[in-house]
Amino acid sequence: MKDERLDARRIAAGLDESVSEAANLARKLGLDPYPVNYWIVDHDEMNELIAYSGFQDRYPHWRWGMAYDRQQKKDQFGMGKAFEIVNNDNPSHAFLQESNTMADQKAVITHVEAHADFFANNSWFGLYSDRGSAGTDPDAAAMLERHGEAISRYMDDSDIERTEVERLIDAVLCIEDTIDQHRPLAAADIDDEDHDIDDITDKLDQLGLSEDVRQQVFDEEWLEDRAEADEAAGIDDPRLDVIAFLRDHGKRFDPEAGKAVDREEWETDVIERLREESYYFAAQKMTKVMNEGWAAYWESLMMGDERFAGTDEFITYADHQARVLGSPGLNPYKLGKELWDHLENTTNRKEVADKLLRVEGVTWRNFGDAVDFETVASLLAPDPTIGGIGTDRLDELTELAEEGDPRVDADAVERAIATRDGELDPEDPEAVDADRYPWKLLTYEGLAERHFSLAKRQNRGFLKGIDRSELEQLARYMFDDEKYASVEEAIADVDYTAGWDRMREVRESHNDVTFIDEFLTGEFVLHNNYFTYEYSHAGSEYRVASTAAEDVKRKLLLQFTNFGKPSIAVYDGNFANRGELLLGHRYNGVALDIGEAKDVLERVFDLWGRPVNLMTIRTEYDDHELEVARRRGREPEGTEVGVRLRYDGDQHAEFDLEPELKNAIEASEVDYDTKPDEWLA
Amino acid sequence: MGLRDDVDRFREVGDQRRQDLEEFISYGDLGGSRPDQVKIPVKIVDLPEFSYDKRSMGGVGQGQGGTPQPGQPVGPPQPGDGDEDGDPGEEGADHEYYEMDPEEFAEELDEELGLDLEPKGKRVVEEVEGDFTDVTKVGPKGTLDFEELFKRGLKRKLAMDFDEEYIREALKIEGKGPRAVFEWARGQRIPVSFAWIEEAYNEIPADERTTWASFEEFEENVDQTHVGDRIRRDGLKEVPFRREDERYRHPEIIEKKERNVVVINIRDVSGSMREQKRELVERTLTPLDWYLTGKYDNAEFHYIAHDADAWEVDRQDFFGIRSGGGTRISSAYELAAEILEEYPFSEWNRYVFAAGDSENSSNDTKDRVVPLIQEIPANLHAYVETQPGGTAINATHAEEVERALGTAGNVAVTRVTRPDDVIEAIYEILSTEDGAESDSQ
Repeated sequence: MKDERLDARRIAAGLDESVSEAANLARKLGLDPYPVNYWIVDHDEMNELIAYSGFQDRYPHWRWGMAYDRQQKKDQFGMGKAFEIVNNDNPSHAFLQESNTMADQKAVITHVEAHADFFANNSWFGLYSDRGSAGTDPDAAAMLERHGEAISRYMDDSDIERTEVERLIDAVLCIEDTIDQHRPLAAADIDDEDHDIDDITDKLDQLGLSEDVRQQVFDEEWLEDRAEADEAAGIDDPRLDVIAFLRDHGKRFDPEAGKAVDREEWETDVIERLREESYYFAAQKMTKVMNEGWAAYWESLMMGDERFAGTDEFITYADHQARVLGSPGLNPYKLGKELWDHLENTTNRKEVADKLLRVEGVTWRNFGDAVDFETVASLLAPDPTIGGIGTDRLDELTELAEEGDPRVDADAVERAIATRDGELDPEDPEAVDADRYPWKLLTYEGLAERHFSLAKRQNRGFLKGIDRSELEQLARYMFDDEKYASVEEAIADVDYTAGWDRMREVRESHNDVTFIDEFLTGEFVLHNNYFTYEYSHAGSEYRVASTAAEDVKRKLLLQFTNFGKPSIAVYDGNFANRGELLLGHRYNGVALDIGEAKDVLERVFDLWGRPVNLMTIRTEYDDHELEVARRRGREPEGTEVGVRLRYDGDQHAEFDLEPELKNAIEASEVDYDTKPDEWLA
Repeated sequence: MGLRDDVDRFREVGDQRRQDLEEFISYGDLGGSRPDQVKIPVKIVDLPEFSYDKRSMGGVGQGQGGTPQPGQPVGPPQPGDGDEDGDPGEEGADHEYYEMDPEEFAEELDEELGLDLEPKGKRVVEEVEGDFTDVTKVGPKGTLDFEELFKRGLKRKLAMDFDEEYIREALKIEGKGPRAVFEWARGQRIPVSFAWIEEAYNEIPADERTTWASFEEFEENVDQTHVGDRIRRDGLKEVPFRREDERYRHPEIIEKKERNVVVINIRDVSGSMREQKRELVERTLTPLDWYLTGKYDNAEFHYIAHDADAWEVDRQDFFGIRSGGGTRISSAYELAAEILEEYPFSEWNRYVFAAGDSENSSNDTKDRVVPLIQEIPANLHAYVETQPGGTAINATHAEEVERALGTAGNVAVTRVTRPDDVIEAIYEILSTEDGAESDSQ
């Protein structure tokens, strides 16, 4: 890896083995990560990498300096310790802190492998990676480097003012999240309406008009006007990719000329490059909870359950986990991991319940009584041969292998025996150390049984907790419900891979919003003590508002939908017929930070060249209402009023919003306010 | 390209990263900070973006061990990310505050004001072991200095060693018995004991006792060997260890004194102390508290509110209270003296800061406050007069204290009329102790 500034060294020999074995274990567990290159860096280098978002060659800009400054400060106060950083690319690059203990490094490596699997398989990442010409790889490092070089060249160009380049970058960065992140980079570019002149001409041809009429009525000017009018975004068709719109239709304001002029080519180029970077990073932002949870889950399984750390390093590992998962506030790792655990358990539970319902005499009605959960628990526990592997049990495994047991990796067992008996040199790459790496002797099925979630101590009560309605639903369409004579028979047929299989499906298809939406259930919220809080004007403080699952879910979704930011779209490119830009805040009940928005509008002006407008809805309180509410110690009630902010390059102004425009931006379906009625009473 | 360039550019582009301390103290929002954490608003250099109004957004939290009840207050929202490991990507959390702990605050204030207060160590908290330089004659086995013991034993041996053969030969001089040989040996500085000579003499067979005719003949024929040669020839069989040679090394005991401080903050909460004055008091006293917390290992604070009477309050209430009564400042000093009984001056650094508008009951200052101040030993007594409108006619407390105690060396009197004066006041107070001349405004 080309690297001028970092003195990153390849990992020490001691870690080589951990790295390759972690990758092996990950694959055995069903994961399919991008190959990862590991590098060791020191504190400063790590801070630098974090500042540059995991890559070294970015375009020159003070934001990296600021990020570095902040990161250093955090690090100094012991708040920013980063164990690793890994980037989304193929091959992926992961950087490990030099100061990590051995246990930390191993934990980090397993964590990284899981990330690399996520990057490689999640379809939202695929949106960027599958760009056609570049194959299916993100090719990120190269792309970012190219951008860095191109922008550097503009800055060095004697005909271009460096501050102009920076100013342009500043402006685009302010709106870097106003993209259509649910569509691939290229597709987002294509406008739905055709305003291609040729198309219009074709249509006119089809009308069969005479040449004279055509030329008189539908002359060139008319055609152009038509084309331009079509270009303008319509109220019914707001454009989510604001950057693309500005790139295509924006102009630059020339202060000397006092009007908007066409942009330079380099400006359009810079805008497009930054836009592409936004699309590249979008997937990461959209899957933070899932991805971190995924990595935490597999790290925990490999390090904890599979003892990848080795017994003496286990204690330091527990400490490592506690530090990562123990931070206060909403912790995406924790939320993610808890959701994955929950998903695994509910899937496995469904599988087991399904089998049990097929036992003679067991119905959804008598399920709780007819089933002895203690017995089931012990039956679900892994076969001793599978659960406790070691060199001393190799012969038992051989027997199973000979029977063709799908849980056993026959070839590995053979090699393990050869190693044990001295026929294979332990240093030989073919050798298998059954004590150190017991998992090598099993297949995916074997590992699934070995780590079946419902057999774990902390999940013992989960099966019993199944909802009656779920049982009823399972039973409803069950045909073969007398298949097993006994519980033993039924359990023997349990597909232990159910949980992991489903998890892999989900990690491919979902993003944070759909993940939370689908899997955050009432049971989960209760079990994990989640609650919502709102600001109380009466108390001038934040208070717990609700513990209902639906509310918690909605509030969480608010934090993750559209990167946790208000959705802004282009509504009109020719507002008031004066070439003004009309943006709209697609209002969902949560107000915009007006101060920030005004600052952004100033930057948007730089990209549009003409006055810019933003529609939003604001809750206004009249003084009387405020006084009454204060006296009575309750929340004041306000009215939602539509406003249009406008910036003309010089001054800010505010206008009332016409009712039809207000309707256009108002979303009536979801209310994100979870304040209980008692506050308003 | 490069980190260096980007960082430089950041510094150029941004304004001063945070409000400088003076601005913060005079005008900044002190409310975001706590006694052990100073939060100074950062002039946001960051780029704006479309975002939700924080209050409108609310959030989700997770209860520790149980779900809280609706209506319960929660702390202000944390930035959502408990985010340490890389997932590279743009961070959302805007840090609007530059956080510093009191130590850093104290350092910065020192720099800004040009001070250098050295906190005094007072109470001995622990005896710490220094280098192993102390040597005693008794001690635990593990600390025995064996090298020393051996050297001394060897020296002793060498000093006590004598050529036995030589003496034996001397005993063979005719007519010279043990006594004579003993005296002669002593004359030769040979460290032989009389008992040994006697015994040796008895061992010599009778016929050999007359081998030599005289000392002269003996000396001509017999040479004394040097101890070094003897050792080289015979080897060193043993080195005598004597108890009195034992030396035990000890670590030097260094007394570590804890640098601790108790601060009594006194405030006039009588009717005349309205909002503006209260704010000035807060702006002056709060940074002093931070400063002292930062300078000392251990800081304790007591807050006394007074009108005509004094009572102790919590920090939260201290700046907000307002009563309706008259004013008798000595009541506060009486209470302060009481509280300070728990903190003997020999063990604690003490600071007594009082603030008000200089109004006091007649003669109270002269008759009671000044003597009390003199009676309460402290590193520093300070009075902050907050008179936004300029001095009022019967508000003379500050003036009187100044007149009586201005030269005492540990009494500072300062006046604050506007927020701009606050930093100057703080300087005056702190520099009084620092040894600089106390300038009254």
